[in-house]
Amino acid sequence: MSRLFKIIMISTISMNAFSLVLWTDYKTRYKLFTLYEVSELIFVSIYSSEFCMKLYVDPINYWKDGYNLLDVIIIITVFIPYSLHKIKGKHYPYLHIADGIQSLRILKLITYSRGIRTLITAVGQTAYTVASVLILLFVLMYIFAILGFCLFGAPDRGDLNNWGNLAVAFFTLFSLATVDGWTDLQQQLDDRNFALSRTFTIIFILLASFVFLSMFVGVMIIHTEDSIKKFKRELMVERHVTLMEEKQVILKRQQEEVSRLMQTRKNVDYKSFSELVEIFKKTLRHTDPMVLDDFGTSLPFIDVYLSTLDNQDTTIYKLQELYYEIVHVLSLMLEDLPQKEQSQSSEKVDEK
Amino acid sequence: MATYHQAGHMQLPRADAIRSRLIDTFSLIEHLQGLSQAVPRHTIREILDPSHQKKLMLGDQHQLVRFSIKPRRVERITHGQRMMSSLRVRCSQRPPLSLWAGWVLECPLFTNFIIFLIFLNTIVLMVEIELLESSNTKLWPLKLTLEVAAWFILLIFILEILLMWLSSFFLFWKNAWNVFDFFVTILSLLPEVVVLVGVTGQSVWLQLLRICRVLRSLKLFARFRQIRVIILALVRALKSMTFLLMLLLIFFYIFAVAGVYFFEDYTRSTRQDLEYHMFFSDLLNSLVTVFILFTMDHWYALLQDTWKVPEVSRAFSSIYVILWLLLGSIIFRNIIVAMMVTNFQNIRNELNEEMTHLEVQHKADIFKRQIIQRRQNLSPEALRSSLSKTDARDASQPEESLVLEASQEKSQHSAAEEGSRASASKTKESLSKMKKSSSSSSSSSSSSSSSYSSSSYDSRYFDSLGQLDWETHVHQNLPGLMEMDQDERVVWPRDSLFRYFELLEKLQYNLEERKRLQEFAVQALMNFEDK
Repeated sequence: MSRLFKIIMISTISMNAFSLVLWTDYKTRYKLFTLYEVSELIFVSIYSSEFCMKLYVDPINYWKDGYNLLDVIIIITVFIPYSLHKIKGKHYPYLHIADGIQSLRILKLITYSRGIRTLITAVGQTAYTVASVLILLFVLMYIFAILGFCLFGAPDRGDLNNWGNLAVAFFTLFSLATVDGWTDLQQQLDDRNFALSRTFTIIFILLASFVFLSMFVGVMIIHTEDSIKKFKRELMVERHVTLMEEKQVILKRQQEEVSRLMQTRKNVDYKSFSELVEIFKKTLRHTDPMVLDDFGTSLPFIDVYLSTLDNQDTTIYKLQELYYEIVHVLSLMLEDLPQKEQSQSSEKVDEK
Repeated sequence: MATYHQAGHMQLPRADAIRSRLIDTFSLIEHLQGLSQAVPRHTIREILDPSHQKKLMLGDQHQLVRFSIKPRRVERITHGQRMMSSLRVRCSQRPPLSLWAGWVLECPLFTNFIIFLIFLNTIVLMVEIELLESSNTKLWPLKLTLEVAAWFILLIFILEILLMWLSSFFLFWKNAWNVFDFFVTILSLLPEVVVLVGVTGQSVWLQLLRICRVLRSLKLFARFRQIRVIILALVRALKSMTFLLMLLLIFFYIFAVAGVYFFEDYTRSTRQDLEYHMFFSDLLNSLVTVFILFTMDHWYALLQDTWKVPEVSRAFSSIYVILWLLLGSIIFRNIIVAMMVTNFQNIRNELNEEMTHLEVQHKADIFKRQIIQRRQNLSPEALRSSLSKTDARDASQPEESLVLEASQEKSQHSAAEEGSRASASKTKESLSKMKKSSSSSSSSSSSSSSSYSSSSYDSRYFDSLGQLDWETHVHQNLPGLMEMDQDERVVWPRDSLFRYFELLEKLQYNLEERKRLQEFAVQALMNFEDK
């Protein structure tokens, strides 16, 4: 994906988004009809050519990337109005819905923006939790919907508007959960003198709005923290790895230089590195100071290193002693065994 | 690279690193290529030391000097300090006016005076607005005093801005709080200027501009450190949420445009009792409606209203509304809350970073002392091996404590260290000789080494009873130690440094050899057992 391609695609998609805004107004569409048709044609052709190019480059792995699947879906939605037009004729009532779905085209921008992609991966890891909380909420609503339908939706004296069938009951409950205009709904139930209505509503509001929706926030906070921490750690590790690789490269280069130097001088008389620097060493004087401030030549490091080495020595010494003891015990066991056998065989002979 | 290592040696990355460090420090490559003149041989200390400097100047004046650049943990250098060190200021006869202006601005008396004036301004404004309408003639002197006070305060603020400009014009604009101050003052100055110039009429505008005086009390925010910290944290949290807000805007766009198309029939219907008729009429209205739905206000009423029109399919409209509610208002809002909480936590942690850094340094300090303690415990018991070693240790130990405590005085420091380095290098030579001989297991030195290690074994045994084992302890404290030593510099004599690197490299090979010998011994033991 070269930079030029990215720039072209981003500008195309933005232009498309902007033109979609223009075509929402009927008057503009009426006046600039030819422009509308031509621009639609151009955009559709650009999208399909992008699709074909990407597919041609990598036929099999193309389907594994989620963003490519998004592109495919958007291409399909772009072609829906045409196909509906052809198949069902001009006055299909749902034609304007197909037009409305065109606004999804702007989602193609996400592929080209790295920041939003990282955000979506970070947030997407919380998707599982989100889905489970929503399903739990749905189950709760289902229980209360059936309860409400039985209690308040009976055809004779019930409130048919709000609790008449399951779908309407769901809507009413969702309205209660998002505590929007619930007092009006409660008022209607009160007008019909239902005994339990207040308890029912208050319990449901407490459960759904306070408990569930707040739990939603809490769960999202925890998961967002986790995923952000993980993401940052991965970034650090990646940076560390590249740094190490660069250091290795420098090291290798230095080694190559020295070996090259030695190769050139090899035929002269030097045989190894230490002989090579013998002469250099002789030029070093004791009174020449060298000021160093790196960790490897500092006093605490020397102390720590020597102490660690001493520790290592003691451990090895202890190990050696243990080994000697093992050998000693094993040799004792070996001596004991044949004697035991002899005594056993002598016992058997005695018994006989 | 067969010629790189000695014959028959395995490749050790650690030894390679030490050798490369040696080559780097001494610039061996240049020396071996015959370019000895290209290598800097002197350090900055010698140039700054007057006695050394004379000697160098008398000799060859075309020598190269090695600078070592290290990031030091310095506090911020103020503008005043910078100006004082500039050559122009030091050579002039009188201090420049900007220095005086900077001093005045930082003087606590002046800053408290300004804060007091801001409070006074707020009070004056409040009283003035109350008295604006009353036409009581007895209150006229009060009104006069209030007006005079307001003008006086404005003049002082202008004077403060002039002082800041005098102190440093360009730095003024870099600080956002100063720019804010500037704009507030200009805004409150504008109505007076306009009145003076003589533009009449449009008193509403003037009233509004006068009210901008109230904004001056916002200047208070810049003065108190706590408020500043909170606002900075808020701005940083918002900055890190830019992508989230962009994503939200994209979704707003999608649902707004889709809304216009979905509810076309609703907009075009001719029924008279639709409350929200114009809510999806064109894109701007649709955007506002989407925002209304985002705040979950009267969404059910809106939905029921759309159901009144029979052409609108109930399924699609309810899917639209419910989907947007779930996605935007429930999921997105909570994502925003979650991100703000995480960001606030991160920001608080970063602001506390100073404290954690100090803690780590403190621990590293304790660790250093522990190491010294261990060496001290070791020295009386190692008397058997060689007297020179104990002498060196005892000599190095007070030197090392001197090093720790007087790390600021570098000259004293370097003199002590040179002495300790010289003895310590001898120590290390004898130590490494012992290690080499222990790996070849000759009897006399091995006995001394075993006695040495048995003594250290005793002391270690008592030491390590109550705490973590040595390895984990070292690993925990090592990073702190590495960061801590940024201010100390060690002066090495050149040949000892060379010898140190050489010995360190040989030590790695010897340790590796010992490990292999150990493994052979274990193998032999296993084979013996099978018999």
